[in-house]
Amino acid sequence: MAKIKKRGTSGNAKNFITRTQAVRKLQISLPDFRRLCIFKGIYPREPRNKKKANKGNSAPNTFYYTKDIQYLLHEPVLQKFRDHKAFAKKLTKALGRGEYGDAKRLEENHKPVVRLDHIIKERYPSFADALRDLDDALSMLHLFANLPSNEKIQPEIISKCQKVCHEWQHFIIKTHTLRKSFLSIKGIYYQAEIQGQDILWLVPYKFAQNVPGDVDFRIMLTFVEFYTTLLGFVMYRLYTLENWVYPPKFDQKADEAGAGLAAITVEQKETGNAIHAIEAAPAGPTAAEQGAIENLPVVEVTEDMMKTTIEEKKVDEEDAEAEAGINDTKNAIDVFKPIDAANAGDVLAQPILAVREDGTVAEPEDLFKGTVFFLSRETPRDPLEFILRSFGCNSIGWDAVLGEGAFTHDPLDPRITHQVVDRPPMVALPVGPDDDTEMAGQVTARHTAGRVPGRIYVQPQYVWDCINAGKLLKTDVYAPGAMLPPHLSPWVKVDSNGYDPSAPTGLDENGDVVNDMDVDVGSDEESEAEVVKDAAEGSEEEEEEEEESEVEGAPLDAAPSKKDNKRKSELNKKDREEEEQKEMAKMMMPRKKRKLYEKMIYSNSKKDEEAKNLRKKRKELEKARK
Amino acid sequence: MEDDEDEEEEESDEDEVPFKKVTKPRTLSEASKPSASSVNSDTEYQVDDELPEGTRVVKDSAGNARYIYPEIDPRYDTDDTDVEETNTIGNIPLDKYELYPHIGYDINGERIMRPATGEALDALLEQIDLPKGWTGIIDKNTGKGLNLSREELDILKKITRNEIPEEGYDPYPDMVEYFTSKTEVMPLSSAPEPKRRFIPSKHEAKRVMKIVKAIREGRIIPNKPKEKQEEQFYDIWADNPPPRPDHIMNIPAPKLPPPTHNESYNPPAEYLPTEKEKKEWEEMEPEDRDQDYLPKKYSALRLVPGYDKNINERFERCLDLYLAPRVRRKKLNIDPESLLPKLPSPKDLRPFPTFSSHKFIGHIGKVRSVSVDPLGLWLATGGDDGTVRVWEITSGIELWQIRLGQNEAVTCVRWRPTTEFANAYIIAASVGDHVHLLVPPFFPKSQITAGMEVIQAGYGHATAGTESSAKWTKPPSTLTKQGLALTITVKAPIKHISWHRKGDYFATTSPNQANNSIYIHHLPSHKSQLPFRKTPGLPQLVEFHPIKPHLYLATQRHVRIYDLAKQNLLKVLQPGSKWISSMSIHPHGNNIIIGSYDKRLLWHDLDLSTKPYKTLRYHQRAIRSVSFHMGAKPLFATASDDGTIQIFHGQVFNDLGTNPRIVPLKILRGHKITDGLGVLEITWHDREEWLFSAGADGVVRMWQQSAEAWL
Repeated sequence: MAKIKKRGTSGNAKNFITRTQAVRKLQISLPDFRRLCIFKGIYPREPRNKKKANKGNSAPNTFYYTKDIQYLLHEPVLQKFRDHKAFAKKLTKALGRGEYGDAKRLEENHKPVVRLDHIIKERYPSFADALRDLDDALSMLHLFANLPSNEKIQPEIISKCQKVCHEWQHFIIKTHTLRKSFLSIKGIYYQAEIQGQDILWLVPYKFAQNVPGDVDFRIMLTFVEFYTTLLGFVMYRLYTLENWVYPPKFDQKADEAGAGLAAITVEQKETGNAIHAIEAAPAGPTAAEQGAIENLPVVEVTEDMMKTTIEEKKVDEEDAEAEAGINDTKNAIDVFKPIDAANAGDVLAQPILAVREDGTVAEPEDLFKGTVFFLSRETPRDPLEFILRSFGCNSIGWDAVLGEGAFTHDPLDPRITHQVVDRPPMVALPVGPDDDTEMAGQVTARHTAGRVPGRIYVQPQYVWDCINAGKLLKTDVYAPGAMLPPHLSPWVKVDSNGYDPSAPTGLDENGDVVNDMDVDVGSDEESEAEVVKDAAEGSEEEEEEEEESEVEGAPLDAAPSKKDNKRKSELNKKDREEEEQKEMAKMMMPRKKRKLYEKMIYSNSKKDEEAKNLRKKRKELEKARK
Repeated sequence: MEDDEDEEEEESDEDEVPFKKVTKPRTLSEASKPSASSVNSDTEYQVDDELPEGTRVVKDSAGNARYIYPEIDPRYDTDDTDVEETNTIGNIPLDKYELYPHIGYDINGERIMRPATGEALDALLEQIDLPKGWTGIIDKNTGKGLNLSREELDILKKITRNEIPEEGYDPYPDMVEYFTSKTEVMPLSSAPEPKRRFIPSKHEAKRVMKIVKAIREGRIIPNKPKEKQEEQFYDIWADNPPPRPDHIMNIPAPKLPPPTHNESYNPPAEYLPTEKEKKEWEEMEPEDRDQDYLPKKYSALRLVPGYDKNINERFERCLDLYLAPRVRRKKLNIDPESLLPKLPSPKDLRPFPTFSSHKFIGHIGKVRSVSVDPLGLWLATGGDDGTVRVWEITSGIELWQIRLGQNEAVTCVRWRPTTEFANAYIIAASVGDHVHLLVPPFFPKSQITAGMEVIQAGYGHATAGTESSAKWTKPPSTLTKQGLALTITVKAPIKHISWHRKGDYFATTSPNQANNSIYIHHLPSHKSQLPFRKTPGLPQLVEFHPIKPHLYLATQRHVRIYDLAKQNLLKVLQPGSKWISSMSIHPHGNNIIIGSYDKRLLWHDLDLSTKPYKTLRYHQRAIRSVSFHMGAKPLFATASDDGTIQIFHGQVFNDLGTNPRIVPLKILRGHKITDGLGVLEITWHDREEWLFSAGADGVVRMWQQSAEAWL
């Protein structure tokens, strides 16, 4: 006979441990345990059998995996926590005695510092693992970069977050890995693709954040501490893979002047004995130029180099000038010579794009290549600058109020091709249908109120819609003061049941019909019959009316012709039979499967219901518009 | 001769019970004397004086002397008396021996007799002069009083005082000082104290000076604050390790879902909530909301305000990350239709009834029961209006009716299942506590007389034994002319009638009666008998097995199968339902279906087990009636209070390896629900696939295969 197994020695009873037990085992306080869990990424589990895991007690409890806790016993951070406890005792003792000198010395020399690098390696064994978990880290740091400092949140933490965020943005810009972006009511969502991993993060709008009282900032700050370390290592890896120096040069003065992104200069790593500043744009200096400047010890070229067709002819001269200027001032801010105003008016820089057949751009960095944007002072500079740069626009000017680092502060600069405005028009402008042709280059000198001729005025949404569509869209619908088209999330995929708001109304109506029939009486034959009828086009309007009446729940046999009625009843019968078949098959199912089936049907019908509701609303709105 | 005698005596001694020995003791001398004297002189040796008296010395096979000692007679002066007598009963408590004269057995297996326990006077005497060391305790083993010596008492006393019981033990002896703390008056060495003990160390001064010099030169900065170390980053993943292998216990945090259209600052207008939806959302608890924001439309980006719950949401996310238990859930991404079992198409299992071809209208109130005659031409129905009606099946015309009860309903109508005896058509109908046997008068005269003859054949027998509680009475001739041939009265209202296939016997069930609930009536002899002296549970109905002499009794929860020939219980089926309403036995007899008021249909295969082979629950309300097709068609049907009839294909196979195949075929709808009741009874035509159903709405319907289905 097999040995009788003792109760509670294997399985759920052994694998799980309650939180209280874990805290006792580790001999630390609950806040310390919480911190440790956040650092180590330990989370509670849901045992399959709670009662067994709780040794027969059915009281609600939080369970941890026993092995997780077992590993914590040897955690160096745990020792640091204990050291910190001892240190805190010494410090309070010194302060209590009034020995402030001692206290200061203790604080400065003996405060234990927690290092997290081993934890990061442990939690993310490979770089791909770390990239996969970057969503929360980036959202958190971008939020903290926008927070006001107070007694809970030290200003150092905020500036650290800002720095990390800027480094991240620089990396995205220079590698052109930004894919999509979305303006939501919560902030701006960005999605980048790095080494095949999609990373989605949210940046709140630049407003004073409402700091609520019921939020425990100790927890948030623990997360921030971990995330800054994680991002530090990730950034280091990303920068080294690109052969850049990490940490990049940070210009305090420029940052204070509001240079934003431009406060950081990214440099190429030493090859031989030289460090090369990197061009902001990939269409930067050619190989020959690189060779020419290689022998210089430090070459700093501004990021905001304008790369237009006109300029490229004079690149050599200008580069030399720029270098000279920068070497003098030791400043990374642009020095640009405005080119001849005379030819600027006539010849407009033209983007040379590798355009696919469907109008989308093959490479994201080609999208805004060759354009010169100017941001009006009411537009959000940071997101626009970030997006435009990552999609190939290197020449962005803005109003002087928006800070330093602009390509130009002069709104009348003739090189500007697009101006982003977001203010109500003072005078109603006639928007010409030839806006596209204007963009194609035929500029006619036309003076209108407050507008500079030869450039296109768009609202900020234009930029977002362009990058999500992957091509330059028609600008007329985005003209200042125009009613904007709806801004849609680029992540919503339309499945067969779903509702696609971007589908044209007619098509959607058709889909609507099929779908509604599905809900009411629905069958494939119906839709086939539809198609036939549509081809005939004779009684289409009648049909539509009928459908509408069905949708609104009017009785089926209210008015329609006899033939229709007969056909419908036949269909109804067939449908009913099918329904009955299903019902009867259902009765032969075991209970477990039947429950599952019913659940699935319920969730599907809920989805359908939502889509139907949206369709109905849309139809009503369209009717109201007519 | 004397020797022989002695042996006999010895034998008898062994056989005798030992205490008898005690009763007639023999002295050793008496016993040994004759034996010693009788030994032959040539074999005998002179016995030594030291040996006990009566010892014989015999020559053994080797020729050595062998001493044969006399038997020891247990007496007070025998040598064994000083050996302590130990009780060998072990752990058995002494009170088990209370009824016996002895208290156990000694080492030799002899009884230890209970010592005389003193009478009251003796006890008193004992109290007066207690023996030395008297404790008042009775020793368990000996049964005598336990006496303790003085030394033993002393030891006990010491133990109770927590003292060491050993005599003369000193727990605190005086300490012997091996090393003394005393300083000697005379030192061992007279060397003077060296000078170096009084002057500062040069070496130390040298080292101090070194440090002072270093401080002066600035090489050592005392209390220098530690340099604020910036976090040092390096390439952790330089060795390009493989990604973490998937482990069941490693559950990565799920990513937040990407935003949808309605989170847009400028969503399509149909995503904006209406006033009603807005109000609903606001009234909902924050935990119940699908989304934690209301979609809102702004005409320009500059008008978008800051989102006030950004920090809260991030905080919630943080809490989720470290506080929310994680479970791996398998997400089924399959078409729900694929879960449905693949059943053979009902089209291939034709024929089965699909539509209502006739209605038999005439009854007022509910129709309780319906029955088809053995030839399949006529239909008999009985209902709440107290009438039994007979209809022609093909035309649906009512041929005859008889009112059997004024206020009482006809609860059950059954045709006699055989017409073997000269085409005798007989209907049994139950009204209240009566069973009426009817011979419809619309038949030809010969058939009517044949029926009457079958019924009246038993009048001669009836007088013989009248111990039965059922009364067989002949109705008045006026009623006889109308078709009522005989009335049987039992003690309680009858709910169900069941005929034996030969038509001689029929059983009635009256569920309300405690013990006299089931009667078996014998028509040829006009006798009724109670087959059960005491009925188990609440009987609902009984049925006869179609082939074997078995009786199936459905109680509230079980079905009990009795062998009528051997008169014993064969099997108890446990359908597991709360209340059985109906039962039908397959014509082959090895499968039965049971309908229950808790909406279940239970298929029992009697070859398998007492538990159901299949349990189906599909009716919305209680099942009232279940019925197998008794002909060759593999069909059965169930009727329920929800007004529907479910037709099944139920094929039973002859080989034991194949399970019965059950396929639902059709739901028949037509009966209206009246007073919460739908279809009350269904029955099949004996040969065709025709189904008859009696509804609570007063309509009897006939269901047939629709003609178009054949096309």
